[in-house]
Amino acid sequence: MNAIPAELLRIIIGLVAVAVSVGLIGLVMVWVERKVAGHIQRRPGPFEVGPSGVLQPLCDALKLVGKQLFMPNGADPILFWLAPVLSFLPVLLLFLPLPVGDGIQTLDVNLGLLLILAFSGLAVLSVLLAGWASNNKYGLLGAARGVAQAVAYEIPLLLSVLAVAFVSGSLDLAQVVKLQGTWPWNWNIMTQPLAFLIYIVSALGETNRAPFDLPEAESELTAGFHTEYSGMGFGLFFLAEYANMVVVCSVATALFLGGWHGPVLPGPVWFVLKVSALMLLMVFARWTYPRVRFDQLLVINWKWLLPLAVANLLLTAFFVKLAQFA
Amino acid sequence: MEALFNGLGALYLAKCDAAKTGQVFQAFLPPGSLVRAAERLLQDKYFLEDICAVDCVEGYVVVYHFDHFEAPGRLTLRVLVPHDAPTLPSIASVFDGAEWHERETRDFHGVLFTGNPNFIPLLIDPEMADCFPLRKEEKARAKAKDMLEAGEVIFVSPAFTLMTPEAPTEVKESSGDQPATA
Amino acid sequence: MTTSQNNDHLAGDFYTQNFAKTAKDGNLILNLGPQHPSTHGVLRVVVELDGEYVMRAEPILGYLHRMHEKMAEVKTAAQFIPNMGRVDYGHALGWNWAFVGAVEKLADIEVPERAEYVRVITCELNRIASHLLWWGAYLLDLGAFTPIMYAFDDREKVLDILQIPTGSRLTYSYFRIGGVAQDLNADCIRLIRAFIPWFRSRLPMYKDLVSDNIILRKRIEGIGVIEPDACRRFGATGPVARGSGINYDVRRATPYSMYPKLDFVVPTSELKDARGRYDVRMIEMEQSLRIIEQALDLMPEGEVLVKGAPKPSWKVPKGEAYFAVEGARGKIGAYVVSDGGKNIYRTKLRAPGFCNLSLFAEVSKGTILADAVAILGSLDLIIPEIDR
Repeated sequence: MNAIPAELLRIIIGLVAVAVSVGLIGLVMVWVERKVAGHIQRRPGPFEVGPSGVLQPLCDALKLVGKQLFMPNGADPILFWLAPVLSFLPVLLLFLPLPVGDGIQTLDVNLGLLLILAFSGLAVLSVLLAGWASNNKYGLLGAARGVAQAVAYEIPLLLSVLAVAFVSGSLDLAQVVKLQGTWPWNWNIMTQPLAFLIYIVSALGETNRAPFDLPEAESELTAGFHTEYSGMGFGLFFLAEYANMVVVCSVATALFLGGWHGPVLPGPVWFVLKVSALMLLMVFARWTYPRVRFDQLLVINWKWLLPLAVANLLLTAFFVKLAQFA
Repeated sequence: MEALFNGLGALYLAKCDAAKTGQVFQAFLPPGSLVRAAERLLQDKYFLEDICAVDCVEGYVVVYHFDHFEAPGRLTLRVLVPHDAPTLPSIASVFDGAEWHERETRDFHGVLFTGNPNFIPLLIDPEMADCFPLRKEEKARAKAKDMLEAGEVIFVSPAFTLMTPEAPTEVKESSGDQPATA
Repeated sequence: MTTSQNNDHLAGDFYTQNFAKTAKDGNLILNLGPQHPSTHGVLRVVVELDGEYVMRAEPILGYLHRMHEKMAEVKTAAQFIPNMGRVDYGHALGWNWAFVGAVEKLADIEVPERAEYVRVITCELNRIASHLLWWGAYLLDLGAFTPIMYAFDDREKVLDILQIPTGSRLTYSYFRIGGVAQDLNADCIRLIRAFIPWFRSRLPMYKDLVSDNIILRKRIEGIGVIEPDACRRFGATGPVARGSGINYDVRRATPYSMYPKLDFVVPTSELKDARGRYDVRMIEMEQSLRIIEQALDLMPEGEVLVKGAPKPSWKVPKGEAYFAVEGARGKIGAYVVSDGGKNIYRTKLRAPGFCNLSLFAEVSKGTILADAVAILGSLDLIIPEIDR
């Protein structure tokens, strides 16, 4: 028997760890979101199950698992069930190249950033499939919105990420982090504040979080692309949304906020803290603002974010070249 | 106020006491001049409050209430339609809001409005829309002049007997018969 | 699997089919409601969509139709008062007042002065509660989840106050022909006095946090412009008309009760859009506070129900009467025709929401679906009132 290659072992362990942690993160985020929403709205949030209601999401998850899987009349059975799975699986892949600490990374590839950007584009496919296969008009409208939105927001997202890649000269997330330092003024956010801003706004759009939650805008489209999903079909979409949030926040942390760098505390702790802070920001945004209109969303993107991102990229390229000559 | 109704062939015009019944003027019109009256009222910047029917012995009295944003004072148009052929021209082409009021009146009393752009049941399920819940039984009906305010009559057409106390068809209890609220 | 099922229902019901007859080929017919988060109950709107643009919309009513006008025929006048609380759960006391006022006008009953003040105070409190309900629900329509919690928190206080004299929290049946059911006790007056400064301090916060929010402004400014002429043609009243610059408030136009003695402003807005209607309602809440404050000071001691007030077996005098009050949504009218029996011969209820909603088909034409929802919300719809 040949020994299992170390790299393969590492990936298997990593995948298991990611799968477990995505599930856990989902549960924790449900609780955090409900608690934060509760306190924003001057109510306690869940508090019955377990201390401060921490076990509430577990009960919700059990309820979702126990529910009958229901498919509407006239829906496409294969695509209908493929969609939630497809929304969830790529997210697992996205976790692989994330550098949680120095050397703590499941898949150390020098194109990690590219991998994340490529696979995160798959999420829109699941939105489209879900909306299309549901045989539901709200679903269809939600899917159409989702596609237009994702296409629009991926471009500024990409451009803002590219700007950082220019500065660092690498697409390897670990490498990008290594080039940053311990203190906030050593982080990329100091040199690329505009890119950070564009990234965060685009990330809200990319993950379909309020105020950009148009594909599922409940007051217009009831629930948009996942109107017809119940039980774990809905549960997977839900989980994927939180997992996606974690990914975009992790990438933001690695690119702009110095990744695992930080004084005193160990690296992974800093990483988790920074990601949590960004996630809280997204949660706050959701419970504070009204929803923008669809055309306004595209206007923000095409008329503001995109030109700004291009300008930022050009300027960055210019200064990078200048630095090389100097 | 009565100048509004010049040439419309009004059957009955009367000033009313707003403190008593909440209206300042009322007019009985023949069905034919309803649309023209509505046009004039719109020109005079009246708005339509509501349309309803009252099922009386003599037929359905369809009541149109108008009011004015700048110079408040309720103006009531009334039209009498017979029980066996309750048909009126629609004023929805003048006051768009009338469309729904007319459809509601159809649902409740079965009064038909010709020319209404979308004359389908409004409040009552289409499958049982021909039950007309507010139509009264023959013996439960009361006379229009017993209930409606007569007001201070300005003009009454000789052929119009609905509001006159000494209606020729009248036989019983004519002595105790006062104009409704005057 | 799908072929064996009966798919007849997919063709739509009577209304959908009737609507689809004139639809353009390739456009999507969408039924918003009767169960839809932003139709506030059971309103149904059939829309013809070209992409996300609303080409045509037709509200379908009747899902909450209870035939109150028939019930009025089979109940005595006093027995019918509880129905009024059920017509409009948002501003139940306004409806109480319209019906009771019409009967009082018909029978020429003088209401004691204290009762009039009690009516003003409770009706205005109810108006605040109704506007708060609208405010929270409207922002929910626009995707803001939090304001409704604050609105309900405040509204709860109003309901607590109104619960003391009326004994109920939503479907009030408090007014009587000739007065009100019972007096405001000291406890209630103390609570009202405490509520006024407290709520007054909340309003600036709502303005800062919500009304001036850029996303909200972009969502409601310039949306759903209603010309004064359209208000006239459709008979729109209340904040909808005032938001279009028409200075029409029944409390001022055809003064009733103690309103002539009270100093308050009728807010109007020249914006004519959803923003205008929003602003008008926000100012109205302030003005209601002013009215309540003055009414509390002016309220004399005395009876709250006239001596010899009608008993349930009372015969309503012959005649007709129309009485209108300014409700939270506009002009609430009650038209009663009596033949002298115990039951009123014919009762017609004029619902302001009914007329306001009839505007929707015209205003929503050519807007984006999201705007159509914003317009629908800005009309402040209470479906039971529209369907009656």
